[in-house]
Parts: sequence; C-alpha cells; structure tokens
Amino acid sequence: MLLLPRRRFLGLTAGALAAPSLSFAQAAGRPEITIAVQKLATSNTLDPLSEQSNVGTRIMNSYLECLIGQDLRGDLSPIPRLATAWTRIDDKTVELDLRRGVKFHNGDELTAEDVVFTFSPDRMMGDTTPEGWDKTISVVERTVTARTKELPPQVPAVARRLWPSLVKVEAVGDYKVRFINATPDVTMEGRIMALGSQIISRRAFEEAPSWLDFARAPVGTGPYKVEKLDPDTELVLVSHDDYWGGLPPLKRIRFVQVPEAAQRVNGVRAGQYDMACDLTPDQFAQVESDTRLEVVGGIINNIRVTCFDKHDTALVDPRVRQAMLHAIDRQMIVDQLWMGKTVVPKGDQFKWYGDMYLSDWAAPEYDPAKSRQLLKEAGYKGDAIPYRLLNDYYTLQVNNAQVMVEMWKQVGLNVEIEMKENWSQVWDPNGTRGVHDWSSGGSFPDPVATQPNQWGPQGQAVQTGEYGNDEVNTLCGVLQTSTDKAARRKAFQRMLVILEREDPAYGVINQNATFTAKSKSMGWQVSPSFAMDFRPGNWS
Amino acid sequence: MTRFLIRRLLRAVLTILIVVVAAFVALRTTSDPAMVILGPDAPPDALAAFRKAWGLDQPLVIQFASYAWQILHGEFGKSMLDGADVLQKVTARVGVTLEIMVPALILGVVFGVALGTLAALNRGRWLDRLMMFGAVAGFSVPGFVLGLVLVLIFAVNLHWLPSGGNDSWTSALLPVFTLAVGWAAILARFTRSAMIEVLDQPYIRTGSAKGLLWHEVVLRHALPNASIPVVTMVGFMVGGLLAGAVVTESVFSWPGLGQLIVTSVTSRDVSVVQCVLVLVATTMVVSNMLVDLLYTWLDPRMKEAQA
Repeated sequence: MLLLPRRRFLGLTAGALAAPSLSFAQAAGRPEITIAVQKLATSNTLDPLSEQSNVGTRIMNSYLECLIGQDLRGDLSPIPRLATAWTRIDDKTVELDLRRGVKFHNGDELTAEDVVFTFSPDRMMGDTTPEGWDKTISVVERTVTARTKELPPQVPAVARRLWPSLVKVEAVGDYKVRFINATPDVTMEGRIMALGSQIISRRAFEEAPSWLDFARAPVGTGPYKVEKLDPDTELVLVSHDDYWGGLPPLKRIRFVQVPEAAQRVNGVRAGQYDMACDLTPDQFAQVESDTRLEVVGGIINNIRVTCFDKHDTALVDPRVRQAMLHAIDRQMIVDQLWMGKTVVPKGDQFKWYGDMYLSDWAAPEYDPAKSRQLLKEAGYKGDAIPYRLLNDYYTLQVNNAQVMVEMWKQVGLNVEIEMKENWSQVWDPNGTRGVHDWSSGGSFPDPVATQPNQWGPQGQAVQTGEYGNDEVNTLCGVLQTSTDKAARRKAFQRMLVILEREDPAYGVINQNATFTAKSKSMGWQVSPSFAMDFRPGNWS
Repeated sequence: MTRFLIRRLLRAVLTILIVVVAAFVALRTTSDPAMVILGPDAPPDALAAFRKAWGLDQPLVIQFASYAWQILHGEFGKSMLDGADVLQKVTARVGVTLEIMVPALILGVVFGVALGTLAALNRGRWLDRLMMFGAVAGFSVPGFVLGLVLVLIFAVNLHWLPSGGNDSWTSALLPVFTLAVGWAAILARFTRSAMIEVLDQPYIRTGSAKGLLWHEVVLRHALPNASIPVVTMVGFMVGGLLAGAVVTESVFSWPGLGQLIVTSVTSRDVSVVQCVLVLVATTMVVSNMLVDLLYTWLDPRMKEAQA
C-alpha cells in the first residue's frame, strides 16, 4: 500500500493546481480557449454596420457570414459561403443560389427572406436612396435611443457607402436572390463579401427589443453564437452545434480585453490566455523565450500611408511632397522597426485585386539626392511642416514617425511632430495640418474599396478639404461604373500616378501586419487578414 | 454648526458645478465626438447625421442648457458610443472598482497606521529605519511598475495568481496589494510624523508619570491626538476611491470605473465622462465634508473655532 504523508499530499496537490499549463480547457471533448486582445470592439457593439473596424473584422466572421466568403486559409479569394453559386444576369444584377439547410443561431432556417431583409431599409439603408457613387447620401436624422428599433444615423450612411447604387435585393424563390443595382457595377460580388454585408436573421432582429440589443448579440449563421458581450471587458462565443459546415472545433471562445501589451504577453506566458493578439515585433523575443510558445501572423491587406494636406502652404507645390516621398527609406523601416516581418507594398494596392493589381508599380524609390533637387526646384525655404501624430494608434506609429522626421531632416525638410489625442484633432481644419498617418485597407478585391473612399469626391480627405483633384474624381467615376476591364485598369493606373507621384495625396510606408502569440501545440492556422478563423478544419 | 454646514454645502455645490462646466467645455471644444467615435474612415454623411442626432451641431450654450436640464432631472443621458443608458453603465462599474479599492484601503489604513506607530515608538532605531525605508520605497515605486513586477513574479514565474482580469477572487489579490502598498506607505509616513510630535508633548509624559500603562498612553492619548493629519489623508483616499485606480485597473485589465474613464475619454463618449466626473467630484466633496465633521469630533476645540 502506498503511504503518502499528509504534508507531501498537500504539497503535491497544491503543486498540481499551480502548475503552469498550456493545454486548453477541455469541455465535452472540445476545447474552450481564451484570447487576449487589445480592444474588443470600437463601437461596443457587434453589428457589422456600426463596428467597421479592424478589431471588429477579427471577431465578426465567427458569428456572422456573408453570402460569398473569403478564403481565410488561402489568399482571401471569394469562396461559396451562404451562397453556393452566383451568376451575373447583367451589368447591374447578380443572382445567387442560397445554401440549403443553413440554420441561424435561433434555429430558424436561412431563406431568401432573411437576405432580402438584411439589405432592407429597416435593417440597413434607412431612408437613403441609391444616389450613385458621386452624390452625397442624405441621411434622415433621428434621435438615437436604446429602446427603439431606429437605426443609429451612421448605419444607413455606412451601408450606402458600401452599396451606393443598390436598388434592392429581391427573392426569386425561397433559395435564390437577386441584387439589383441602379448603375453598372463590376464590384457587386466584392461588395457582397465585404464587412457590412453579413446576413442576419429577420425574426431575431424584429424580436429584439431595440437595435442596440440586437447589435450586442447579433443572430447570424456563423460557427459560434454570441453568449455574452461585456463591452470593454469580454466577449464570449459558444459553439453553434447546428452549423452548416460541421461541428465547430471549439466549445467556447472567450475574447478578453487586455489593453496593456506587456500584460497580454504575461498572460499567455502565465497560461492564463491561450492566445495573445496585437503584438509588436519587439515582443517576439519575450514570447519565444518560453519554448512552448510561438508567434504567428504576418502581412495583411492593410497598408500604412502618410498623407499630405496639399493646401498647407509648404506643401502646395507638389515637388515638396514628392521630395518627402523620395526621402523615406522604406526598406530600412521594414528591416529595423518591423524586424523584416513585413514588406514595402507596390503602392496602395493588394494582390487580391487580381486583374486590377498593377504588378509593375512600386513605391517611390529612396533617393535623397532627388529629394534635395526637388526641394531646390520648389524653392522650399525650410518652412515648418506639422506632423499630426497619434500615440501608437497604429503599430509602431510613433517610432516610425520619429524615424521619418529624421529622414526628412537629412534632405533639408523641417517636419515637426505635434502629438494629437484623437482623429478629430488630426483632421481639424483649423491651423496647419501638414502631414498625418492613415491606413488603407481593401474590404473587397477591387481598388474601388480603397482610393475612391479616401481620395475620391466623397472621401474623407476631400470632404475635410485636405485633398482634391478633378482628374482623380473623374477616374473614380470610371472605376465605379465602367464595366470595361481594360478601361478600369487604365483608370486605376492613372489614379495611382496622380495620387502617389504627380500630385501626391499620400505615400505608402509598409504593409501592415498582425502577430499573435500561441502555444506551439495548438494546430491553428493564421489568416492573412485581421479575421481569426475558428471554423471546422482549422483546429487540431 | 448649522452655518458651518450650510457654508460647506454651498461650497460643495459650487465645486461640483465648476467640475461639470469645465468638463463639458473641455470635452466639446477639444475634439469632435462624431469623428472620434465613428473613426477616421467614417463617411462625411455619417458624421453629419451623428452630430445632428446628438445635438453636437448646436451652439455650445444650447448644448449646455440642455445637458444641465437633463442633470437637474436626474438624467445623465445615453452613451454616444453605443446608445446605452449612461447611469446604468457607470454604476455597473462602480461596484467592480470598489471590489479592489475597499479592501486595499482597509489594508492600507491598518498597515499604514500600525507600521507608522511602530516606527514612531522605535524612533531612531533599526526598526524605524527599516520601516521608513520600506515606506519611501512603497510610495516612490509607481503602481504600474510594482504591478508588472508582481505579475512577473506571481503569475508568469510562480503561476500562483492570474496576471489580470476579473475571473475569480484571486484576480483581485495583485491589484489590491499594489494599491494597498502605496497607501500604507503614505500613511505610515504621516502616522510616524504625527505620533512623534504627539509623543513629545507634556501630557504624554504626564500620563506615563501617573503610572498609566504604556499601551494605554499610546492607544488612548497619543493615537487619537495624532489622528488629525492621518484622517485628512484617509479622507483624500476615500474621496479618490472611485477614480483612484485608473492606472492599476489598466495594468491588471480590471474592468472597473478607471478603465471606463480611460476608454470613454479616449473615445470622447462625453455623456459617460461627464457622469463619471460628477460622481467622482461628488464623492470627493462628500468625503471632505465628512473629514471636516470628523475633525470636530476628534478635536472639540475645532468646533469652537468653526463656530
């Protein structure tokens, strides 16, 4: 008989309880995991039309799905999701066959009625009308209250930016729908897969006491359903066992908000979290000092850009802006600040644009001599150029800004950093704006998703008086409405020449990247996107 | 006494009013909440509609009048960020913050006063020097540094405690200890100084000469007389209970009022920030009033002076 002294027994028990463990909590054969993130959601909601953010993209695909999906384990190319097939009826119409037997989280079966409702005025468009790409969308103002089903004012506006010309979605039988546009649009399929086009349950939306109630627990078809959202604290998703794609591999996913980067790393090292997101390259060594852990991730479809206010006295002459672009050694920034974990993009565009991707385009070459020459020709006298800077809104933002200011100084440019607290202060038209950072992301595989939204006639930069170029406006029209592939490609090419060379609106710096710490034993593949994929097949 | 109370009440109302006006003006003039909340990529139409919906397009005076009217009716409005009821949102966090603040305050007061007294009674000896070294270290090391060090030791290396969050009662241990160390250190210093001053007074010698036991002299005569500055400090600590753990809550991802303040200020959720500020200012003002009243109980001569 084995005799165990009481003290030894207690010691062993305590040791067993305290022992570090990187194995995932098991429940009914499937693991439960906890993921530490910097921010859960910027809007405190989970609705894709109000949570139009990178952090929202991370969680959204776990509980909501689009008709056309992205290949998150591949190159993000379009794949059948809630629609099994789609065909073009004409330049303005796309028809989709719905997958049969898809169950919402509330048990209802997905039908064409839910799809029609998702894109209806009650859910999405409000009182807006399909005005077209170059018109200001009028939004009927309403008082926002938590106890009504009225849409918050930003929802129809966001919806109309995504779908400027959508007239309606109509049901053609129970399992077939048609998207009908007012104007020709070759990007309709792309818009169907974009953030904001996720399908929701009509009954769940109508039964929710208020828009806010639904937005905090949306009922979709994703592999997990929302169990609990505690804004700024945690989001708990539980397995949707009736998921059409098979039994989800995880029983429960808990996202917890841990604002401090060091604490996310500490938590994963302590075994408290199974994954820690939003890491910076300088934390890799700390994570990997624990041999059980690894950092995964890499470049995503998002590009860091530095923007100019072309009306700033010192920047009115495009040669000064051109000089600034040639003074930046982007490769050095990538190698030193990012430790080579990202790349210098070929302009503000992504490979997933397919035929629209301009592979022979490149960021302005690093050429200090050319910068000095351009400044001389422009007669630049050393006027101060303010650099409105946020405190690491983007990864490594402040470090990157300090490096660029030194590079500009080397060629004779006098750029002064002004720390700002938020975007409102960055965009504030009062005072001199000069330079600021921004990012450019493609929500669907076409340039229409980027340049026109930022530097087109309705783009933020134009609306706030920072930029404006008549030819760019015309080219935006071609991109938005032309169905001639060659003409669209030519228009995009010309647009890049203007925006990145002739009359610079911005300069690309580096492709953005996300990094996650996790246990090496966790068989999970990271996506080339902000989205985290926990569907069947991506866990072992 | 009544006049004193009325005077203090009027001053309290004025203080809260100043806080409300200053916060209102500062929050609305330094940023556009629409752009901060909707983000840098928000369509201009959405920004315009948002401003209109929340009355941000109205002149500041009209906005303030509307806000003041709401407050006078006990309404703190809705969160601009998500439309949730502000008062519910704030009160839900108060309890979470107090879960770490109250134990930390109790520990801080008990240990601070005890160690300060012990140091004073051993003035100049090694125990006094050791305790004062500890006290200086305790309030010199910022809370976020101490917090991270504790996490490295107890969570990362020993795996005894969680590194953060609010999952179980053990999650509260490190933040409570971090807060308590700072408070105990400050109170130990104050108590020691006050006690040393009192212990030098003739009535202490008289008490001893009368044959009173030393612990009676300390507990019944020295400590009450040394408590005025200590009570003042504790009053400040009580007043800061709600908003005093901003940094600690951030370090430990403790979902309390401090974290709500940070996210609300960052996202310019002005209704939430205003509600929190009113609550914090009221707590501080009430706490100060109570301390003033406590003075007159601890030292009746003050009552005469106030009269």
